[in-house]
Parts: sequence; structure tokens; C-alpha cells
Amino acid sequence: MQPVNPLVSSAHKDALLLWMGFQNPECLVKPLSRRHTDPSVIVHAMLLMSHRGGHQESKKKLEISPSETMKAEEENYKEEAKEPKSEDWRPPSVFGAADLKNRAVGLYNIGQTCCLNSLLQVFLMNIHFTKILRRISVPVCATQKKKNVPYQMLLLLEKMQCGKQKAVSPRELVLCLEAHRVTMFVQYDAAQLFLTLWNLLKKQMKNPELVEKLSDLYTISVQEHLACQICSSETKRNSSMLSLPVPLLDSDSSMLKTLEKCLQCFFRPEELTGHNMCFCEHCGKKTPFQQSVKLVHLPQTLTIHLKRFCFGRSAYIHKISNCLPFPQDLDFNAVLTEQQCQAYDNEKAAWRYELFAVVAHSGTTSYGHYCAYIRSLTECKWYCFNDSFVEQVSWDDVKSTYGHSDLYWGQTAYLLFYMKKQPQ
Amino acid sequence: MAQWQEVQQLPPTHLERVHQLYTNAALPMTVRQSLADWIEDQDWQQAAEPFSSHARMLFHSLLTLLGEQLGSLGPGDEDFMLKHNLRKARIDLQAAFEEHPENFANLVANLLQEERCILRRAQAKGQVEATPAPSTASQSSQEQEIQQRLTEFRTALQEAERAFRHMEDLQDTFDFSYKMYYRPGQDHSHDPQYAQHIQALQAKLQSLDRQRREVVAQIQQLLGRSETLRDFLQQELSAWHERQQRSCLGAPTDTCLLQLQGWFTALGEGLFQLLQLLRAVGELRQKVTYEQDPLQSELPLLEKRLQEQLTCLLQSAFVVEQQPCMPNTPKRPLVLRTANIHIDRDPPKTRGFRKFNILTSSSKTVLVGDSPREGLVCDFQYLTLKEQKGGGSGKGSRGTNEGPLAVTEELHLITFTLAYAYCGLELKLETSTLPFVIISNNNQLSSAWASVLWFNMLSPNPKDQQFFTTPPPAPWPRLAEVLSWQFQSTAERGLSREHLHMLAEKLFGSKPPPDSALPWTKFSKDGAAGFSFWAWLDGILALLHDHLKQLWKDGLILGFVSRKQEKKLLKVKRSGTFLIRFSESVLGGVTCTWVEHPESGPPAFRAVVPYTAAELASLALPDIIRDYQLLAEENIPENPLLFLYPDVARDEAFGPYYSQRQEGILTKKKEYLNQRLIRVSSRQPHETWQTQEELVMTTEDLETLRLNSGGQQPVSPGTVPGGDRTPGTPQAVSPGLQQAVAAGLGMQQPGSQIPVLPSPQQLGSGSLGVLQTGMGDLGLPVVLQVVQVGPGGQGVLPIGGGAVGPLLGSGTAELLLGNGAAELLPSGLGDLEGLPLQEPELEVGAGQLEATELLPTLDDSAVLLDPSDPFLPQSEDVALPATASLFTADGDFPPLHIDASDFQ
Repeated sequence: MQPVNPLVSSAHKDALLLWMGFQNPECLVKPLSRRHTDPSVIVHAMLLMSHRGGHQESKKKLEISPSETMKAEEENYKEEAKEPKSEDWRPPSVFGAADLKNRAVGLYNIGQTCCLNSLLQVFLMNIHFTKILRRISVPVCATQKKKNVPYQMLLLLEKMQCGKQKAVSPRELVLCLEAHRVTMFVQYDAAQLFLTLWNLLKKQMKNPELVEKLSDLYTISVQEHLACQICSSETKRNSSMLSLPVPLLDSDSSMLKTLEKCLQCFFRPEELTGHNMCFCEHCGKKTPFQQSVKLVHLPQTLTIHLKRFCFGRSAYIHKISNCLPFPQDLDFNAVLTEQQCQAYDNEKAAWRYELFAVVAHSGTTSYGHYCAYIRSLTECKWYCFNDSFVEQVSWDDVKSTYGHSDLYWGQTAYLLFYMKKQPQ
Repeated sequence: MAQWQEVQQLPPTHLERVHQLYTNAALPMTVRQSLADWIEDQDWQQAAEPFSSHARMLFHSLLTLLGEQLGSLGPGDEDFMLKHNLRKARIDLQAAFEEHPENFANLVANLLQEERCILRRAQAKGQVEATPAPSTASQSSQEQEIQQRLTEFRTALQEAERAFRHMEDLQDTFDFSYKMYYRPGQDHSHDPQYAQHIQALQAKLQSLDRQRREVVAQIQQLLGRSETLRDFLQQELSAWHERQQRSCLGAPTDTCLLQLQGWFTALGEGLFQLLQLLRAVGELRQKVTYEQDPLQSELPLLEKRLQEQLTCLLQSAFVVEQQPCMPNTPKRPLVLRTANIHIDRDPPKTRGFRKFNILTSSSKTVLVGDSPREGLVCDFQYLTLKEQKGGGSGKGSRGTNEGPLAVTEELHLITFTLAYAYCGLELKLETSTLPFVIISNNNQLSSAWASVLWFNMLSPNPKDQQFFTTPPPAPWPRLAEVLSWQFQSTAERGLSREHLHMLAEKLFGSKPPPDSALPWTKFSKDGAAGFSFWAWLDGILALLHDHLKQLWKDGLILGFVSRKQEKKLLKVKRSGTFLIRFSESVLGGVTCTWVEHPESGPPAFRAVVPYTAAELASLALPDIIRDYQLLAEENIPENPLLFLYPDVARDEAFGPYYSQRQEGILTKKKEYLNQRLIRVSSRQPHETWQTQEELVMTTEDLETLRLNSGGQQPVSPGTVPGGDRTPGTPQAVSPGLQQAVAAGLGMQQPGSQIPVLPSPQQLGSGSLGVLQTGMGDLGLPVVLQVVQVGPGGQGVLPIGGGAVGPLLGSGTAELLLGNGAAELLPSGLGDLEGLPLQEPELEVGAGQLEATELLPTLDDSAVLLDPSDPFLPQSEDVALPATASLFTADGDFPPLHIDASDFQ
């Protein structure tokens, strides 16, 4: 046995850390990202990126022969540089099956990025999304390229599909997100990160047509109703959501047994009485109200967020690991009643879904691990994406994410992605 | 098996593919063959990554090994070609890959992958071909899935270990270079070589970091898969629990644990191996760590997740293999070891719930290898139960703190806890038996068993001790199934659809709706006939087991036929067609009904007064049928039973079951005449069919019966000793005999509805309260007994064995009967058992019993009987007289007075 290396373990650890921070952009140190508000630091981060991407400077400085990958990367960038910078540039395979052209490819965890990796896989395995992504316009200058999230995502997709490796590193995308004040290398809530990512994508897609397509693909339309229980006056408001945040506990704090029940609970009208009473303009006073949400439109890719976290007595958030089965096939017409929908029949006829992906979380609220189970839309097979490790699995494995009341550290489904079925 | 070996065993079509694979490969098959094991042990995939110094190391190791191989080859001719090939391969490889060993690594990695691919395809094809074969068809798809997943799990584990070894190598190289070259604090700005070293060091750290993340991801994945596997095993285990519960009820199911045990062990081993691996990874982290070290953040999570899974797996792997049971049956292994027992660990907080202590040693240590069979097993045999009594409360204290539940509805649990320690994992495991009922007297056995049936049939929670506060009704289909199991396990033949139909009509009226449900009270408590439905059925079960097993098994007893149905069946048959059915009015009674077609008028149906165990003990039913005589008005006896329904001649149907006739040895001088018992009914011209009498015949020759009619008292239950000694005298009932019957019944508590004790063998009353985790296919497990001794109220019950002997202390208040008990009789009383003459018709005769004396005396009729007569029952079969003897020996008890109303 080797004794513990004193240099690394104790006094000289800091020295090593600094060294890592400088030399190894893969292991970016946190303080950098925290100071992003300061423009000078952003420049600093850019420099770091240029170390990696352009590499010429470091080459000159350190006179090191670049390794194989570095060479390859350099070539990559050269290729990009050669590519026409016009707005209508398209990658070669626009309409081909975007996912799994080259088997499922993993993403290296470059420091607490399992959450991001899982979400990226869910995005990139969705052919409806990649069709949109492949049509984005490429930013003109290099700085913009590095800051453009859709573009970096596209690059990552290309990298996953062209390479022969079993996994690739999402480093550039991570750096790009850092540039947009998305703190990386910290524990993330997948639902929150999903929203952040999606908003960034939407914001940075310049083409309005694509933005609309992206919205169509993911956003849910609902109508919120607020009805005074005294005078029956009603106010309505249309709103859009990226995911349906369904509760796991009903109003009596008892566990709901199935996903369908959770959805029903979400759309159940709620009485606002006592402290929750609202001011009614017609009655001129605070009156009890009934609040309800009606479903107007469901998108191609439907995201359901299982609210597996609940507040205990002492503001301490704990995770609900209880079993919640979700079906492979979900028909909203069978779940919701007439009153809970506000849609035409032809819209409702399309509300048949099949499960596409599950983002599962294992661990506690304070720290844990994410992985993604995704059903390939081209092969119709399930894969499990555990960072760099990808494996074909079966539906039974997906079912193991239902949860278990005895297993607090086991994996539980957190985000569910359903895909609209093709009309027969 | 090694991959290359498997490849070589492939069928020709697939082998062809392998040949194709190697035809153009830069790695000659000779090399693959001679270094097969070494090649398969290396992580080529890893080495194929750019940056890898590993690739060069592997490449040179390969060349060295090839060199060694060449050196070890002998000068023989057979090696000559091989030598040549290897030497050529070595030179070629060196030339081709010296510059880029990672290309070589990539090549080997791909080849190995292709091989695996071919193997998989061959296996898949093999499975498709093998599926129709019966050997694999017996395995369910779920079992196959589990097997396959276990194999995959093991393979993935090996891969993880390989990745770990690679990580170890990387770390060692890094650590070495780090110590060699890293010199901070000095000015190296003019030392280009130092910068180069630092750069290399940097690269090494990069690859170490990557490998660490890889290992972590791999273990995450492995844990995910094992969760699925554990789910599968859990499902199989709950199926097993269900099977065990059903088998407790008598269902013919397989409760073997071997396969489950194998699966649990395999997964457990794998998870423990993973735990070791995680610890080894932890040690590596101790040596080298850095900012953003993936091990720093991920290891605790992985370890917690793994430990939780192991805990969960072990917890469920600790089971009670054999539920507590009274008869002594061969032991089978438990899965895990047990240590302490707590009975009623969380007793329901109800007033009057009895509490029990276990007197015998209640903790054991079991180490691996203790058990001759696989698995950690602990037998708790010969446990003794003692009821805890509150201070100052003597006998009858139950009266003061009467609980809301009857004794037979009180459910108790034995909880086994286990302090488990293995590989640094310390757990406290717990498991419980199914709830059981503790009774203090054998006469509670029947109703206790009813409780057990009801609970196991309906309780959704196997630990619900308060089940009987609100027992749910039983849906008929479920109940029918369970009832059928009772017959199946007692007499090896379940209930047919017709039987169940009759029972359903009896319970729910004609044309019962399919969703009928029977409430608990209607099942076990209320009954129009003076006894509950269950008491009636249990009486029949006991009768079947003791006397009619073979006939029932062979389907000669139609059994459950309603009067109406019976008439419908017999109406269309010729005169003398008879069927055997169970009495609905008499507990544990069986009777024959036959049809007669008079010359004019509608067909007449006649039936004998039901025979109960008392009669059948002295004379078997087939013999009764054979010799049955009806004394018609002309006094010419004839047997009206000619054809067994539907149409089988009597002797043809029952021939095999007749007792061997004692033809007598003609050469021997006869000192006594032969004797045999037959049943005779007499009929007055205008009489109804309900008459029967019993005759003891002494015959010289079996064909010549010298009969004496007892016909003057048709309804009298009188015993008529026949033969020379008291010819034709309708004699009064022999008091001694009646005594035995009366006392026997008294034992079962006046008013109790169980006239006949179920056979001890079957019900386990013989070996009193054996609390062992064991149950044979014999009958009623989960019933325990406690014997109460005297006013002190501390009944000690040695559990196990068949002997009740040591129990018989001075203060024994009640003793349960079993075959063991018979031995305790004073020898003189043994003769009593031989008495064949028993009260044939309790309902009518009960009135006469009242005044009879308790002390048994030997009657004349007993003298008549030759104890060695094969027609007579063996002593074990009659337990009732033994009871009487105990009473006579016990001064504490007042003489029993039997009330006629008890027998309504």
C-alpha cells in the first residue's frame, strides 16, 4: 500500500488546486463562475475557452506538443471556420434521423453535470427538437458562437453523432451556459434547469418561425378560471406552461396512487375560503372563490413535473420517494372530465401520448444524481443515460423509477416526457 | 467461461463469421488463440482512447508475452508451424503498430466486441430454437429474465472491476510522476523540460479524472440495474409468501425456497462485491484528490444508495420458511439466521389480550457453514409457550379481563430478530410468522382453524392482529377454493363443481348470485341446525380422514347432495340404486339413500340414520354396505343396496374395500364361533325409513346369519347384542358403553358442536403444540396449544414429540387427546376401546344418558368381542374412552352431567 501523498492530501493541496484551475479548463474552479457579473471576469473565462478552443496561445507559451484530441478539436474548429458563414448554412443531414444515428452516445460528467447531461440527452434524442435545432442560423463571429446556446447544442449533437467515442464532453456548452449566468458545477433541480435551458434556447433562436415551432413543441396552454362563489362572476386568463407540475399528495396530504390521479388532482377545482378569499369587484368585498385550471392545448412533447419534494414541519424540504406508477400510454381524454378541458374535439382527439423519456433522481434533496431513461423514437428501444455510460434497458428498468417508500436513495422519476402519438 | 472458449464452441454457421472476422484482421487468430486469457483481461476500450499511455504499455506487454510464448514452445514438429506463425505475427504487429499503439488497442477492442456480438446472436438464436423444448418451457419468462439479468449484472460488475484496476494503474502512474517531477516554489521558467513534465503530468491527471468519472458512472448504472433486479426478486418473493399462505391453508403449491435463495444470494454477493469495490475506490481517493474530484461528491451518495439496497435486500431475504405448527415435520432450511424471538412484539393495546412467554431458549447464533444445507437456517423447535397471568388472578381470570375477542380469534405473532453483521454491514433484521391462534384445549382446534382459514384467505395485511374485530365477509369463489383445499389436504380429493354448488345453495339459497359473500359469523358461529357451517364441514372432514379417506379419494362418495338433488338423481334409476352422502342434520354423519320403485305409486327414497365416527370406528362403511340388512315386514332380511349410483353393482364398486373375510382355518379345531358385526334396519309395514339397529352376530359361517330381530322398538337406539348368549332380547343399552360415549362428548364441553375429535395425526393434537417452523402437507399448521395447569394458571406445554406423558402431573386439569394419550390408560381400561357398540343415534338417545354413572364398567357385550378380531378397530382409533379414564383419575372434576339439549 502506498502512503497517502502528503503533497496532495494536505498542505500542498491548494497549490495543486490552483494549478488545476489554471491548466485544466475541464476542472474549472467555482470562484470564476461566481463572479460572472463582473465583465472583466467574463473576459477571463473567454480566455480560458480560447486556451481550449484556439490553443495557439498556450502552444506558444508552453511549447507543448498538442495531444491527439487537441489536434482533432483544432481541426474541428478549422472546419467550422471554413464553413460558409451565411445565414442559410445547414449541417449536412437536416432531415435524417437525428438521434441514434451513431448508437446512443454518453456525455461525460465534467463536475456535477449529471442533471444537465440528462436534460441534454432528452433534448437531443427528441427528433422533433433536433429538426428545429438543425435549422438555426449560425452566429457570425466567434465570440457570438461561443455564447450561443442553440449553436453549442448543435455542435454537441454533431460531435455525438460524428465521433466514434462512447461519450463526448459537453464542455463548450457548459462554458456557454456559464456565460449566461447559469452557474454550473452545482447541484441542480432538473425542472428548473430545464426551464432555464429552454428559455435560453428560445431567446437565442433568431428565426421567429423556429421560435414558434419550439413553443409549439413544448408549451402547454391552460385557462385559469376564478369564479366568485357569491355572485358567480368569473374571470378567465390564458396562460402557457412548459411543464405540468403535478402534486404527489392530495389536499389531505395522502399519497396519490397513480399519475392519472395526480393529473386529476392538478385539474381539480380548488375552493378559496377563509384567508385565501379574494376581492370580488361585483360584490365589493372579499368573497370565497373557486379556482380552477382548464386544459386548452397540449404540445407534441409534454413535460410532466412530479413534485416529489415537500416541506416538512421545520421548513426542511424532504423528498417523497413513494411509489408512483406512470403509464406508457396516456390518454388525457380518459383522465380529465369535460369540465376540465376547454378544447375542441379535434384537439382533444390528439391527446394520446406515449412515454418518451424519464429523468430520474436518486439521493436526497441536498445532493443526488440524475440519469435519463429515453425511448429512442427511431428504434423504439429504451436507453439509460448515466453520464458517459449508456446502456440499452427494458421497460422494467424504467419501471424501477416508480419509487419505493423504503428506498430513500433509490432512483425516482422526476420529470416525465410524453410524446404525442401519431394519429392512426 | 472465457470468451474465446465460447467462440470456439459456436455452431458452424456462426463460427464462419468468426473466421471472416479474422481473415482481414491485423491481429492473426494465432495470437488471439495463444494469448486468449490475457487479451480478454485487458481494458482495450480504455486504451483505445487518445492520450493513452496505456495503449503503449499493453502493446509492449503483448509483444513480450508473444516472445515468451515462442520461447516456451518445444522443438517438436507440431509446434513448428505455430512458432513460425507467432514469430511472423510478432514482427508484423511491431511493424504496423509501433508508432500508434492506440490504433492497435482500438483494433483489439473492436474485435472483442464483434466476437461478443456474434456470441450474443448465436445465443439469441439458440434460445429461439430451444424455447419449444420442454426443459426451458418449464421456466417462466420471468425466471429467465431474472437469470439473464443476474448474468448481465455479474458481467457488468466484472467490467466495473476492470475499469477500477485501470483507474488504479492510472493513479499509480500519476502519483509516481507527481512525486518525481512536481517541484513547486522553484523558478522553472527557464527549464523547458520541466514544463514538458508538467504538461505530461497534467495529461495524466486528466485521464485519471476521466477514468474516475467513468467508474462512477458505471457504478451508478450498475446500481440502477440492480434496483430493477431487486424489484423482480421482490415480486417473486411476494409470490412465494402468497404461495406459503395458500399452502398453509392446504393448497397444493410448491413452497420450495431453493431457487429464490439462489437468486437472492447471487444478487447479495454481487452487491457486497460492489461494496468492496466502492471501499477500494474510497481508498484511492484517500491517496489522491483534487478540486472537482468526482469521487469526493459521488462516493458518499453511491455508498448510501448501495447500503440501502443491501439492507432492503437482506431485510426481505429473512423469512420464516416454515410456519409454526404442531406436528413434527422434517426441517427445511431458512434463508438467513435468526437470533431472538419476541412473541407479540407490538401487542395490540386491547384489554384482555392474552400474553405469552416462550419458555425455552429463545436465542441462537448461526454462523455460515453451520447448516449442512445452503443458506443460513435456524430451527426453533420444541418451543414452550406459557401464558402470562396478571398478579393474583388465578384460574378463570379470563373472566375478569375478558377481551373483546374470543380466544380463537386472538391472533399472535412470533417475531424473529437477527443481528446481522457481514463485511462491515451491521443490520437488525426482523421477520414474523403468520398470525396464529393459541388455544388451551383441543376442542378449540376446529374453531381456531376456522379463524386461521378466514384470516389467511381474506386479510390484506399479513400482520393484522386485530383482524377479527371487524372480519370481512368471504366472497364465495374464494371461500369455495379454500374449502376445496381442506378436502384436498385431508382426503386427497377436492370438491367438485357439483359439491360446491350444493354448498353454495346451502349457504345462500337456491340460485345464489355469483358475488355472494359469507359473513364470518355465519361461517363459524351461527347455524340453524345448532351447529355452524364450519363445524358441520369440519365434522365431515374428520369423518373422512378417519374412516372414509379411500372411498372419498376414489370418488365413491357423492357426499354433498341436497335432498332435492338426491331425489332427482335417483328417481330415474332402478330399484336398489343408492348413493352415499353426508348428513346435513348430524355432525360428521354419512348415510346411504336408495330408491325403491313400488309396483304402484311414486318411487320411494329411503335412507339410514347417518353413521358417525362412533359407528364407523367399529365397522367400516364398505362392510356396512355389504352386510346391510333391511328387515322387511316378512322378517326376511335383505340388502336393499344393490347398485351404487349411477350404475355400478355394489360388490363391484366396494369389493376392493371389503375387509377380508375370516374364513377360518378349517383344519383347526374351533373353540369359538366366528363373529362379525352387521347393520340391520327393520321396517314396519307402514313405517318411515328412519330406523336402524345394530346387531352383533356370532356366526359359525359367514353365510349363515342367525338373526334376532330388534324390530319392536324401531326408534330406540338400543344396542342389541346378538348371538347365542342373548338371543332375541332387546336388551337395554349397556351402561358402560354409553358412559364412554357420554364422557367422550363431555370432554368436548357440553354444548360444543364438535362431537368427534379430528384425528390427532391430521390435526396435530397428538404432539401438543409443537411450535416449530415446520409444516408438512399434513393439515392445520398455525394452531398452537397451551395446556393450563391448575389454579396457578401456568400451563407448561412441552412441545414436540408425540408423548404427552410427562405432562401428567398431579394438577393436570385438562388434557388434550391424541394418539399419544391412549398410552396413558390404565391397562384394564384398554379393553374399553374395543367396544364396538356405540350410541348410534345421539339425537334420540341422549335422554337416556343423563342418569348414567360416570364410572365405566365392563359390560357383557365386551366379553363377546375378540380383541384380535380384524373387524374391530385398533385402539388408536378410539380416543374417547381414554378421556373417560382420565376423568376417573382426576378427583378435581365433578362427574359430568350430560344434558340432552347438548346434542340437539
